[in-house]
Amino acid sequence: MELFANLAHGFVVAFSPINLLMCLIGALVGTLVGVLPGIGTIATVAMLLPITFGLPPVGALIMLAGIYYGAQYGGSTTSILVNIPGEATSVVTAIDGHQMAKQGRAGPALAIAAIGSFFAGCVATVLIAVLGAPLTKLALAFGPAEYFSLMVLGLIFAVVLAKGSVLKAIAMIVFGLLLSMVGSDIETGASRMAFNIPELADGLGFATVAMGVFGFAEIIRNLDAGAEMNRDLVQQKITGLMPTRKDLVDSTPPILRGTVLGSILGILPGGGAVIASFAAYTLEKKLAKNPSRFGRGAIEGVAAPESANNAAAQTSFIPLLTLGIPPNAVMALMVGAMTIHGIVPGPQVMQKQPDLVWGMIASMWIGNLMLIIINLPLVGIWVRLLRVPYRLMFPSIVIFCAIGIYSVNNAPVDVILAGVFGLVGYWLIKHDFEPAPLLLGMVLGPLMEENLRRALLISRGDWSVFLTRPLSAVLLAIAAGLLVLTVLPVLRAKRDEVFTESEN
Amino acid sequence: MADTMGHSATATRNTSVALGFCLLAIAPQIFEFIWSIGTIFGWGVGRGPATVVISHATALLVGAPGALFGALGGDTKKASSDVMLALIYSYPLFAVAIVTVFMTIRSAQDYVGGVILMALALFALWASSDLQGMRGFSFGAGTAPRMFGGLLVALSAGIALTGLLAEGAALAHYSWRGPMFVMASILFFALAIRPLGLVVSAFVSFLIAALGSHETRWLEAAIVGACLTLGCALLFPYVLGLPMPMFPRFLIQ
Repeated sequence: MELFANLAHGFVVAFSPINLLMCLIGALVGTLVGVLPGIGTIATVAMLLPITFGLPPVGALIMLAGIYYGAQYGGSTTSILVNIPGEATSVVTAIDGHQMAKQGRAGPALAIAAIGSFFAGCVATVLIAVLGAPLTKLALAFGPAEYFSLMVLGLIFAVVLAKGSVLKAIAMIVFGLLLSMVGSDIETGASRMAFNIPELADGLGFATVAMGVFGFAEIIRNLDAGAEMNRDLVQQKITGLMPTRKDLVDSTPPILRGTVLGSILGILPGGGAVIASFAAYTLEKKLAKNPSRFGRGAIEGVAAPESANNAAAQTSFIPLLTLGIPPNAVMALMVGAMTIHGIVPGPQVMQKQPDLVWGMIASMWIGNLMLIIINLPLVGIWVRLLRVPYRLMFPSIVIFCAIGIYSVNNAPVDVILAGVFGLVGYWLIKHDFEPAPLLLGMVLGPLMEENLRRALLISRGDWSVFLTRPLSAVLLAIAAGLLVLTVLPVLRAKRDEVFTESEN
Repeated sequence: MADTMGHSATATRNTSVALGFCLLAIAPQIFEFIWSIGTIFGWGVGRGPATVVISHATALLVGAPGALFGALGGDTKKASSDVMLALIYSYPLFAVAIVTVFMTIRSAQDYVGGVILMALALFALWASSDLQGMRGFSFGAGTAPRMFGGLLVALSAGIALTGLLAEGAALAHYSWRGPMFVMASILFFALAIRPLGLVVSAFVSFLIAALGSHETRWLEAAIVGACLTLGCALLFPYVLGLPMPMFPRFLIQ
């Protein structure tokens, strides 16, 4: 069995001391980020990109991956204990999780969240290993036309799954595509929209924009909100960590359903952990015999979304590793990390860099195990961290980000650019534009342009090539169908319903 | 009575929005002017302020209308970059500003957001206007930027249109304190890191950023800032091996 041989190889790589350490650091930092509100996963991964310079590529990616799924664990802890979701992915967990905590059942809630996450993480790890090879084969059959259509489909998915106006989300993607054009043209070398600024000749740094739009903008927005959030809500002693037999029986089906739903939504381009947790909660509420229990401490309301977000966080690696297409903004940053280390994501990676791919996959399982073991005893420390007031946290984040961006190229101009994009991000938030599609557009921009150019060059300028090649036509048809469905009023109401779940 | 008052309120508001758009329409020109003042003192490169003002004024008032009518008359003489800026960027925005005065804005958030995004797209169209277009069936450097720029103009016009047609949120409140001090802190860091080194610039930037919140207590901020500076001074150059100037240049020499 090739699969087992690959996985075994991966575990050998992941169990080397340095990679174990990276995995642990990633998981811990991820949990920390998940716990602290006001600093998201995207900003953290962007912030830590420069730190990974000195590391070997495998270790670097293992650490960054650990941050992503670690954040899903950390987010649930604060959601349950203090009703403050540290991450957007655990917003729905807070609804029932915190109610359970108030009823003195914080222990079982935390345990179920951790067990659900761990189970989902295991399933997702296997799924990545199983789907990896066949998808890679499929990807190798892709020509430029298919690649272009696939990216269009991915971006449309991002639009459909983003919350808010469809028109605005598409506009953000195109804005991102346009930003990616800044710098030298790949084929002709002509300088595009660089205004003779030497630092722009290489294009806008992806980490720079991400840090501005997600890091700085988020800080400015939080300062806007003003008054210090009331953080010291419930903090009784957590007693009786073990869930009862009834808890386990009640939460098994939701964990299974959450895992399946999360895995699917994670693979879909544009999906990701946030939508997965919302969708899983909505599904449970729909299926429940007595929906009124939800919002009053139903354990299903913790089990399902927590499994779903962890599954999605991991399966979103599949399109990245096999097709080289990042399905969401965090994965887009992973592309940045891979490029920094000279790895071009895509189907070749699996064959040329088996250490990297299988090591990372194996490390996910190890990381999940670490998280479940270290997290429950550390709950007290995480909660105490919440006491750090924002007035001290935000200048620290600003400085840390600034140093981080500076260290990428040793270029002060990058720091200023990130600041400018911070203001742009603040403006976007004020006008209800989602910044995540922008980032996705920016990463896919060069790839899309290259494939579009190549496809048209091969077809001698015939645009119909996208429709005459069957695979490409199917992909485009799905994209068009999705877009039509989203604009239809009935489905639009459904889509809004999923996102408004947390508000009522 | 109440009706008339409400009406006059929206009217004044529309005028101020329109005026804002007019300012946006000549924002690149103003920016170049401010930039050009620096050249007097020998900072940066570019045209002098007098040249900038004259060149843009003629482009806006004479050159662009001339080119517009010239193009209608079949004259294909190559226009200068300033004239192109006026034609591609400023004129459409002036037109939008004029239209704004006569419209009822149902959702200022969408309308203003759409128009500003359109301004960005038009600016990108101008910036890529000097690049080569299609050569036969192969893309030139300018093809893709112009394609996406055009698409963004259409999309942002759509967003602005929804702001006119559908009820929606009003303009959100912007605060100035947070953005100003965070930006000041970032700018200070960028300018100071090379001459003053990591230790000084990180600590001072921390204190500037701390001004962004009115809850800041100084002693506390100074202590945390010092600890953070120390931590970063150890972490980045030593643990991570990223070379970085540590202390002010004049102290080392």
